Amino acid sequence: MIKLQEVNKNFHKQQVLHDITFQIKDGSIYGLLGSNGAGKTTLLKIIVGILKQEKGSVQIEGQKVFENTDVKKRMIFIPDSLYFFPHYTIEQMANFYQNIYPSWDQERFVQLREMFGLDIKKKVSQFSKGMRRQVAFWLAFSAMPDILVLDEPFDGLDPVVRRKVKNLLIQDVADREMTVLISSHNLREVEDICDYVGILHKGSILLEKDLDELKADIHKVQVAFRNHVPAALKKDLSILHEEKRGSVRLWIVRGAETEVSKLIESYQPIVYDLLPLTLEEIFVYEMGGAGYNVENILV
Amino acid sequence: MFDLDLRSRKPIYEQLVDKFKELIIKEVIQADEKLPSVRTLARQMTINPNTIQKAYRELESQGYIYSLKGKGSFVQAFSEKASQEELIKVKEKLKAAVSEALYLGMTRADIESLLQEIDESTGGGIIDDKTSGSK
Repeated sequence: MIKLQEVNKNFHKQQVLHDITFQIKDGSIYGLLGSNGAGKTTLLKIIVGILKQEKGSVQIEGQKVFENTDVKKRMIFIPDSLYFFPHYTIEQMANFYQNIYPSWDQERFVQLREMFGLDIKKKVSQFSKGMRRQVAFWLAFSAMPDILVLDEPFDGLDPVVRRKVKNLLIQDVADREMTVLISSHNLREVEDICDYVGILHKGSILLEKDLDELKADIHKVQVAFRNHVPAALKKDLSILHEEKRGSVRLWIVRGAETEVSKLIESYQPIVYDLLPLTLEEIFVYEMGGAGYNVENILV
Repeated sequence: MFDLDLRSRKPIYEQLVDKFKELIIKEVIQADEKLPSVRTLARQMTINPNTIQKAYRELESQGYIYSLKGKGSFVQAFSEKASQEELIKVKEKLKAAVSEALYLGMTRADIESLLQEIDESTGGGIIDDKTSGSK
């Protein structure tokens, strides 16, 4: 369990993170989403103990992370910009990892070699950007961490590799309850594997929820009535957004599907359709509801 | 086993629940047959195991499957409660379809003959199976 409590971080008097409190359960894949400059990377670096927060606490299984090698041995962070020692081959890097991580699994490293198909005698610096990222994943998966923290992990990977990496990730989550924290601004990328999402904006958590619950709680509704729209209905529904398309109204409504349906149907609409929203749409409307400017959040 | 639409608006766990219901109702997976384990399914389909777990829990609470500790999840033999719930949903769909048909000019007689046709093709099918089996 990763537990953050009222974490604050400043850079040169500028507040970057403001009272961040949330938890990540073991075996969960948590998607940390947000705009550019929202503080995602800073937050990740605090969680893995690279940066130190000014206020608040970060605990992993009840232990502090910062300068705590016992905890750090069990977690791997793949940063946005990768780092390998200059002139090191994959094999040498693997040896280095083996020394650092007690849970390193050499057998797995050999197994994964077939999957990634890279030459271990070659220097990492000679590889392309995407291949280097593959090396990072290869090393991370071989180290068998309990916690894997990924910053924009899929950038630069082709669709085939992306799928392979996701599959490996899922396997480790299913088999050994690995906890994964992924930051991304690409909503489609995380929508299919995360079970929990948190939205970070301007250094604060705006929203944090089970992804399915999030989707079950907000709907796109198309309705048309014989006469005009009953005012009482609009009052009873929690409408986040409204659009008029001829006589058909498009509403974004919050609430449980059955309740919304029952309420709307009691007014006997001539057209009635209810659709779930995509994560991207949820973003747009939730942000709109919170008074944030959509253009600033979606990239 | 089956395909899910990861790009669909419908939550993945709901899609899973619906697919399994369909398979159970059509008896593709039969009573007391074991469902794939959460791990295998997660691995095969690249779906978050927690999502699958949730779908199984939902199926269990709706009475479609039961789980044995340490053994996995199994299909529940025909359950009264589950079919009742399904019946309500189907009735709703039927209502919508029939009202649309009436609007489009179908007559009561048309619908009745259609009903007859459906009854013969599905109900008849089962009876045929049984009689041919006993012969």
